[in-house]
Amino acid sequence: MLTFLRKRVVSSAIPLVFVVLGVFCLARLTGNPVNLYLPLSATAEQRAAFSAEHGFDQPILVQLWDYLGQVIQLDFGTSLRTDQPAAEMVLTAFPATLQLAAVTMLIAVAGAVLIGCLAAYRPNSLADRVSSFLSMTAASIPDFWFAIMGVLVFGVSLEWLPTSGVSGGPEVWVLPIATLLIRPFGVLVQVVRGAMVAALSAPYTKVARSKGASEKRVVFGHALRNATTPALTVAGDLTIGLVNGAVVVETIFGWPGIGKLMIDSILQRDFAVLQAAVLLTAITIFLLNIVIDLCYALLDARVRQAVPA
Amino acid sequence: MLSSVRSRVLAVAAVVLCGSSCTVANSPAGDAGAAGSTLRVVLAQEPPTLEPCEASLTSTGVVVRSNISEPLLERDAASGELRPLLATAWRQTAPTTWAFDLRGGVTFHNGQPFTAQDAAFSIDRAVNSDLQCNVDGYVFDDDERLRMEVTGDTGLTVHTTKPDPILPLRLSFVEMVPRTTSTTAKVREPVGTGPYAIESWETGVSITLRRNERYWGERPAFPQARYVWRAEPSVRAAMITRGEADLATTLNPEDATEENSVAYPNNETTALRLDGREAPLDDIRVRRAIGMAVDREGIVGTLLAGLAEPAAQLVPDGVVGFNPALKAAPYDPEAARALIREAAADGVPVDRRITLVARNTQFPRVAETAEALQYQLAQAGLNVQIQMADTAAHLEYQLRPFPTDVGPVALLIMHGNQAGDAAFTTSQYLRSDGPQSTFGTPELDARIDQADELAGPARQDAFAAIFADQNQSVAQYVHLAHMRGLLGISRSVRYQPDSATGDELHLAAVRPSAGEAR
Repeated sequence: MLTFLRKRVVSSAIPLVFVVLGVFCLARLTGNPVNLYLPLSATAEQRAAFSAEHGFDQPILVQLWDYLGQVIQLDFGTSLRTDQPAAEMVLTAFPATLQLAAVTMLIAVAGAVLIGCLAAYRPNSLADRVSSFLSMTAASIPDFWFAIMGVLVFGVSLEWLPTSGVSGGPEVWVLPIATLLIRPFGVLVQVVRGAMVAALSAPYTKVARSKGASEKRVVFGHALRNATTPALTVAGDLTIGLVNGAVVVETIFGWPGIGKLMIDSILQRDFAVLQAAVLLTAITIFLLNIVIDLCYALLDARVRQAVPA
Repeated sequence: MLSSVRSRVLAVAAVVLCGSSCTVANSPAGDAGAAGSTLRVVLAQEPPTLEPCEASLTSTGVVVRSNISEPLLERDAASGELRPLLATAWRQTAPTTWAFDLRGGVTFHNGQPFTAQDAAFSIDRAVNSDLQCNVDGYVFDDDERLRMEVTGDTGLTVHTTKPDPILPLRLSFVEMVPRTTSTTAKVREPVGTGPYAIESWETGVSITLRRNERYWGERPAFPQARYVWRAEPSVRAAMITRGEADLATTLNPEDATEENSVAYPNNETTALRLDGREAPLDDIRVRRAIGMAVDREGIVGTLLAGLAEPAAQLVPDGVVGFNPALKAAPYDPEAARALIREAAADGVPVDRRITLVARNTQFPRVAETAEALQYQLAQAGLNVQIQMADTAAHLEYQLRPFPTDVGPVALLIMHGNQAGDAAFTTSQYLRSDGPQSTFGTPELDARIDQADELAGPARQDAFAAIFADQNQSVAQYVHLAHMRGLLGISRSVRYQPDSATGDELHLAAVRPSAGEAR
């Protein structure tokens, strides 16, 4: 198991390094942010001084070397926009995104297991067809459109929910979570249904039934256990997508998370904050990948055995 | 093993759900505020700073100006006249000297009295320091140095290096801060004399102001004001309709109704800036042809939903120097084609690709406007390619030093002259070395220099003639429209926007619909 873990850590860390380096270089290719931060009539000397102060006048490799040296000392720089430490801004915003992603995935997994099992229990029944149609539709709906329609229908027309914001009771969570939920939920229902259809027709299920096991025991004790592995893999990927892609939800609903912070940092060429946000997100995704792989290996011995020492 | 994993997952889920049932991380105080006692304003973006010397930036000024801090005097957006604020009177005592009588009995939010020393400090900090304040770049000349002379607790004399007939107007952009404010670093949350003081700033969530109970002027109606920000205009409009906000900045026409918004002239003018250094735009016939090829009425009526007026100059009516005799060039595609053919016959490479650069979200339907311009210029015989840019990328094209090796560029700009005097436009956009100008002529530069030293009707006439000359002999700009803004406003408050509202939203001018003070 330790060998498996070591291999996974090494293979997952490589993309992490490339992402961090890539963002550093790509950000600088967008140009010097001097125009955003100096007055319109700033002189050439003032512009040069600004560039020198922030190291933008150095070759990109020198800037990268300096940056890596700072990161090793846990110094992530200062925001050009707010003059606050970049690490502080990122660590303040990140929990709001994690909360959103965690709650969304818990609901998605629970709902998908329930509906997927029901649909798979009687394939091609009316319930199966309806759930398949709805889940495919859900997986296809653009989140931006869904969010705006949610605001107009449930916020403005029906007045059931607040349009946006983070104050108040649990109702503020409904639209952001529904928007984030819709695609993973649709995908997971399809995955669980497919896996359960295969599991319920597998020989070991028939054996269980022939031994007199109850239907509840057959479905949840035998079939679901074996259907969990593919569902878990997909759920892990979807969770990573949520952490990485809550931008639309956070922008529309005013959710103070890291997605919105990243967008603002890109638009404002606030390199230190952008780099810190990407680094933290990449590390989180790296850890999530490890956890998912561990769960996968715990559930399926073939995965552990497939990794050479 | 599976049951163990499952139980752990369930335990974590329970903790997350319980912990998150009400409170969103990093939002301790919530963001909406209670209706009634709190004036709720939703902005398009969070201000990066509340530093008063950055108040010429829209996102900062709309919160700071005359709410948290105040200048010595301010321009009445309706009449254009200057009116007293922290100065009660002012007079020019010599060509390079202005004297100000300051208001007594005014205190800063921290209890420190406001004196002439604070006024001198504030002007020195914003204009003469190395802080690189935006207000310095926008309002004062690059080399302008002001010398302050304190003549008592309420007396201040300001000396300029050359005659400056509009110095009081320039100083209306300088917000007063106590002389304990840092001179080496910009402050994020300032102390001022305004009707509201900063109570809290929850980064990413909201800014809350509380009423300054010691305010020298009229008491604002609302004890609290709270700003939140939503980038999506549909959501801002929905918040007004739903009663979650009282005021919302910059709505889109498609979201606006008579019930949730009011339109107002916002002093912004859209135009195409043509790079006269590059062929084929270096030929005035081509630039004039572009002016005739643009269907302003069509763009205003269809894309801008009628919330604009076709423009013939860079400033709207109400700004000193506006020339009422100038009329927008009529839409005449045939004449435009003839001019292009004439230029081509003389060897001008009219088929060279022109890049039309426009800024995302600069105004509603900006992308569609760029597409309409591309089509209309193609009909005239020009080869135009659109490049949409974000603010930072657009600034690369907008400000000197301009990018090189990018070919001829037609830049879609929107200029707002909130100061009310053409000097702030011509110095930036028309001088041959202006920070936002690609070219000009020595003659026009000389006329601008002369106009700058004039006052009264002579100043008005001189700048009006400069705008006419731009159209006649330079044609760097193809003017599109004088714009109108849309302010979201709920039925629970009364407020009349003016041309300055987009840049300085005076909270004290907002009253509750029912009842008065709260």
